[in-house]
Amino acid sequence: MSAAAGVAPASLSIPSGSGRSPALRLTWMLSRPGAQSPATIVLPAVAFAVTTALVLTVLGGALMFWRWTDETAALYQMLSVLALALLLVPLGSLGGAAARLSARRRDDRLATLRLLGATPRTVTAMTVLESAAVALLGALAGVVLYLGLLPLVGLISFGGSPIGVEGVWVGVPVILGVVVGVALLAAASAAIGLRAVNVTPLGVRTKQQAPTVHWMRILIGVGVVLVAYGALSVLTGLQSVALILVVLGLAFAAGVGVLGLIGPWVVALIGRGSVKRAKTTERLLAARSILESPKAAWRQVSGVAMTSFVAVVAGTGVALMDVAASGDIDQESLVLVADIRTGVIITLVASFLMVACSVGVNQASAILDRRDLYVSLDRLGVPRETMERARTRAVMLPLRVVALGSAALGVLLVLPLAGLSMIFAPLSVLVIVGCFAGGIALVWAALRATRPVMGAVLRAPERA
Amino acid sequence: MTTSLLSARSLTKQYGSTFALAGVDLDIVAGESIAIMGASGSGKTTLLHTLAGIVRPDSGAISLSTPTGVVRVDELDERGRSKLRREAFGFVFQQGLLIPELTAVENVAVALMLNGVARPAAEASAAAWLAALGLAGLEGRRIGELSGGQAQRVAIARAQVTGAAIVFADEPTGALDSRTSADVMGALLHTTTGQGRTLVLVTHDETVAAQCSRVVRLADGRVIGQQASPSPSPAAAPVPFQAAAPALFQAPAPQTSAGTQA
Repeated sequence: MSAAAGVAPASLSIPSGSGRSPALRLTWMLSRPGAQSPATIVLPAVAFAVTTALVLTVLGGALMFWRWTDETAALYQMLSVLALALLLVPLGSLGGAAARLSARRRDDRLATLRLLGATPRTVTAMTVLESAAVALLGALAGVVLYLGLLPLVGLISFGGSPIGVEGVWVGVPVILGVVVGVALLAAASAAIGLRAVNVTPLGVRTKQQAPTVHWMRILIGVGVVLVAYGALSVLTGLQSVALILVVLGLAFAAGVGVLGLIGPWVVALIGRGSVKRAKTTERLLAARSILESPKAAWRQVSGVAMTSFVAVVAGTGVALMDVAASGDIDQESLVLVADIRTGVIITLVASFLMVACSVGVNQASAILDRRDLYVSLDRLGVPRETMERARTRAVMLPLRVVALGSAALGVLLVLPLAGLSMIFAPLSVLVIVGCFAGGIALVWAALRATRPVMGAVLRAPERA
Repeated sequence: MTTSLLSARSLTKQYGSTFALAGVDLDIVAGESIAIMGASGSGKTTLLHTLAGIVRPDSGAISLSTPTGVVRVDELDERGRSKLRREAFGFVFQQGLLIPELTAVENVAVALMLNGVARPAAEASAAAWLAALGLAGLEGRRIGELSGGQAQRVAIARAQVTGAAIVFADEPTGALDSRTSADVMGALLHTTTGQGRTLVLVTHDETVAAQCSRVVRLADGRVIGQQASPSPSPAAAPVPFQAAAPALFQAPAPQTSAGTQA
């Protein structure tokens, strides 16, 4: 060995570890401002903020009824539980979208770190830490948003008068619980998501074949629908409000299960059909991107599927109440029917908002994930409108079919219970029609709102 | 005197305080292949992007001779340049940048469909190009199911299928091993200059550059030298390109009913 090689300058010697957790140091280094595109932190943070604000508002409204002590309290409490149950699915999908986005945006960096020798444990710890931190930031912003919304939500009338700010105020312990819960949801989702993609040193995008969805799902789904249908037919004779609620609850649970089972299969079917029929570039692109991941396409619109289903079931419920109240001029019953209608509308509006937010977050992150591809398509001369139309169609096509299908499933389930009263009660029809128009318009608006992200990507291709 | 197909005069392009192009003049004649070389940051990719109408120069002129007259590329608006890129140029990038969810044949056919060609005709033409480039039987594969060299040949087919007068290639062999790189260059040269078309490529690989008819060297945004290659060697093409299919070089006509997308 030469003398020169034996005397390495101090600057070339290998420093020893400082003892602090490498996950903590690396997370800080990669998260500080300027280390990555602001969108990777801002997008999930906004999604977590909206989730938190909506959870707090909905919880506030529901908890209000549990403070009531008059004779109608029990009924209102049951209805509030039903409304919360209805909102669980879209809320879960929004929270999940935020968490997945938060974890997915890190895939590439994590793969590089694995290549440099970071252990899977370090990488997992980093992901969980960073996702939880972003969720915590978002949740805190959500609390501020909730506080800002309080006066507005307080204007809603229940029991014959506006509920006021104190009606929707959940209290500090609940706020703290929700903030911690959102951070934990993000951490858990990031850990699970990471285990699923199994970051290898060579990256996470090793997917070569489009996934398939098994047709057995449809058989199981049809079986559940038949059982639920039979059960409802037997219960038609029951008239008490409590039993109607129980039956509606059961119908809802069966519907949720069936939709989750057959949704991805139906979406895959739509994709395959439209690939064959596609005559234009945007139609072909949209159909292929649906087929690329039918489960993801379903997840994106499943909230609206739920809402459509709920709209039919809840619309029928309101119609039944209306029909029941028409023969009775009792003031108390009129207030009750008006309150239930308000509750149904609030539940629908909240679930639409959540779905629109999920679509916005998913689409914005999809554009950023596919930045290289969009830039190259632009360079090839693909008109931006074609890319936008393909992107819109990939969401709106399954949305339309799934919303209509879910509504049809809802009609199928409540038909024996509601009978002709639904046809003769125009309000239920109005609620359903408004539901479709509002839901589809909101999702479309959320898609439009992500156009500036595409504009920014195409304007600054050097960042690709 | 030979007329230029594409001519650039006094091109400048500045990013912040850095001049990516500092007064470039270049004439490209139909049927030649030009390799643009230079160190990192010398402006070679900016020059390629400017000539292709992807980036607009800060000053200078770019003129393209077309059958209907001379088009000033630098004066076209975004929409016009996009249309020009779609209809008159073809592109091959380092990573192929194909659409991952589409099959090989769909990736190629999309270039024609964007110009208003009906899907069956577009896919038939795309399949013929893929077969000519040695990819027969792989038409239905998704991009993730192809090797790097195969994907790059799909990109070449996509660049050629519209009958582009000029093909711009940015490090087309940069991500490939030497054997596959030779395959891809052979295919690229056979389908362009081999058929009287024009190829402009950016490369840092002297072996690749040696196969072109002219090498343009850049430094600090200026052309510092040009030399004609003594013996461009497109003959060394292991890819079984079937040039015996002259119909391939006739891009199918757009549908009259569908119309061209603006």
